[in-house]
Amino acid sequence: MKQFIYIPLIIIILLGCSTKLAEQAQSDTTALPQLKILNQPQPLQPVQLKLQEIPSVNNESKANGKITQTVYPLVIKDRNGEKITFDVAPQRIIAFDAAAVEILFAIGQGSKVIATHSFVSYPLEVSEITKVGDAFSMDIEAIVSLNPDLVYIFYPTFKEELEKVGLKVLLIETIDDDLTKLSDHFRMWGQITDAIDKSENLASDFENRIQLIKQELSQYSSEPSIFQDVGDFWTPGNNTLINEVFNLLKLDNISKSNDGYYQMSPEVIATMNPQYIITNTPDSYINNPAFKNLSVIKSNSFYIPNNDYFSIFGPRFILGIEELANTVYPAIYKKPR
Amino acid sequence: MKYIVGILILLLTIIFATSIGSVPIDFDTILKSIVSKLQLWNFDEPINEITETVIWNIRLPRVILAAIVGASLGLSGATYQGVFRNPLADPYLIGVASGSGLAATIIFVSGLPLIIFNLNLLPIGTFIGGITAVMCAYMISKISQSRSITTIILAGVAIGAFASALSGILILKSDPDVRPLLSWLMGGFISGQWNKVIFLSPYLCFGSIIIYFYARSINILQLSDDHAASLGVNVRYIRFILIMASTLITASAVSFSGIIGFVGLASPHTVRLIWGEDYRKILPMSAIVGSIFLVVSDLISRIIMSPGELPVGVITALFGAPFFIYLLIYSGKKIK
Repeated sequence: MKQFIYIPLIIIILLGCSTKLAEQAQSDTTALPQLKILNQPQPLQPVQLKLQEIPSVNNESKANGKITQTVYPLVIKDRNGEKITFDVAPQRIIAFDAAAVEILFAIGQGSKVIATHSFVSYPLEVSEITKVGDAFSMDIEAIVSLNPDLVYIFYPTFKEELEKVGLKVLLIETIDDDLTKLSDHFRMWGQITDAIDKSENLASDFENRIQLIKQELSQYSSEPSIFQDVGDFWTPGNNTLINEVFNLLKLDNISKSNDGYYQMSPEVIATMNPQYIITNTPDSYINNPAFKNLSVIKSNSFYIPNNDYFSIFGPRFILGIEELANTVYPAIYKKPR
Repeated sequence: MKYIVGILILLLTIIFATSIGSVPIDFDTILKSIVSKLQLWNFDEPINEITETVIWNIRLPRVILAAIVGASLGLSGATYQGVFRNPLADPYLIGVASGSGLAATIIFVSGLPLIIFNLNLLPIGTFIGGITAVMCAYMISKISQSRSITTIILAGVAIGAFASALSGILILKSDPDVRPLLSWLMGGFISGQWNKVIFLSPYLCFGSIIIYFYARSINILQLSDDHAASLGVNVRYIRFILIMASTLITASAVSFSGIIGFVGLASPHTVRLIWGEDYRKILPMSAIVGSIFLVVSDLISRIIMSPGELPVGVITALFGAPFFIYLLIYSGKKIK
């Protein structure tokens, strides 16, 4: 029964937003004709890159004519309603979360990130940042010795321990219910680090692009069915951010009947016959006699996501959403270029 | 007679388990499908192709895989208990599970492609891992000064702990998405297919023939080693053969199904509580009971939160333990 010691670890992972999907199988799939994988340049600073792309859906640029400087002391409420007060902008941030690191870099505050965990790999500058643990463990001693003025975490395991040694801890658990909370999350980082302008751009860019997708799809009512396999039939069900993306894209998630991530029965997949399957290993469907009747195989409607886009809920998440929209609705939805 | 009844119950359980699942299919349709598959009768209305696929390519291979793995675990559990004269022995005691688990972990975290040249790396790797762990335990007991039978068990426990620790380190240092590894470690038949059934059957047949051949010797092994030797039994040789045979079937079962606890421990005891101490009865009945137990557990794991699934290892313990405790209380006198 020793294997059960892994369960708490796994629960953390399932909660964790920076779930980076195993990329091992990607090499297998390159030979397959893929539906449409966009050759997206790696935007180091999505804000600047995207500014000219912002569609004119919402013309009032919120950054104009509003407060562009943070007034300290600033009070931030975490998701449990707990208040954290900032007297000045933190200068030495340990961001223990892939999305948070990306956001900080995107709003030009990357230099304030002094440490993160070892699964964070984007942007490239991260390779030079100290690593103080991984998704399961945290080196509290190393954290203390770095003398941070803010430690950001996305799961609560180490919160008390960090607070006990006198550190300022901000815990925001993974957003799982509402896509729009993501832009508020961008704004929050702008407020904390006194970079409201840039975070506002990032946030409104995200909102506008979501809005554009909504608008483009508003006149269509058909809902193609979809199934995402993140490995071994594990799939995001109801109350997951991915399901929210599916709702936005008018896709009917065949696994929405249960909550959270779970393992889906293969016979249900075979019977529901989804029109699209998101997976890193289309081979495991093509070569399985159980799925020989799937229409996905005949039409080759597999979507192999750029894993980082679709699994780190940060500034690049919108690229994943657009990529999927583009795959499913190549005729309707044109990615803004 | 009890074998015939046992096998009949097993067959009925298999048919019953095949008729239930996340996708509702009438029992009627199942019978029709079987009849037309056996070409006994041609129906005017052909059965829906998807329904056919669900029955023949998803459910049936899975149920049969569960039956084979259950039989393997039950049989090897009974053998280990007999060979070690230890009621706590189960197929995983001497390091099989941890060895296989370590191999699976290495394969998952190393990012090796799971399929090379059409060969599924996982079962091969876990098989080698399991066998290696047991071989180590056996070698240690050979080198050791102690002639006691517990040496190999203790060596197995030590090697198991060591391998688990290594797996733990690897998992902690790996990419955080270990869901596939988790499903393997917790056991299950979600990707059960005919090719796995075909792969496993020879091991079970081969292993069970060898084990049953020595059933009488296991009875004699229940005496002390000296007694057994004086009755003309080559204790060390037979013990080696039996350990290897049952490890072979355990490792092959584990390689496809992952680690499923409790079946190997509970099935032989259930049999013993009902039919007594003769290993000639315990061995085959343990296989049948293990088989039924696992098919039913897998059925529960499939339908309890449909269309989602639970790892079958959770079910075997969750439902098996209370049943086993019930047996312990109500036939407590017979336990040795």
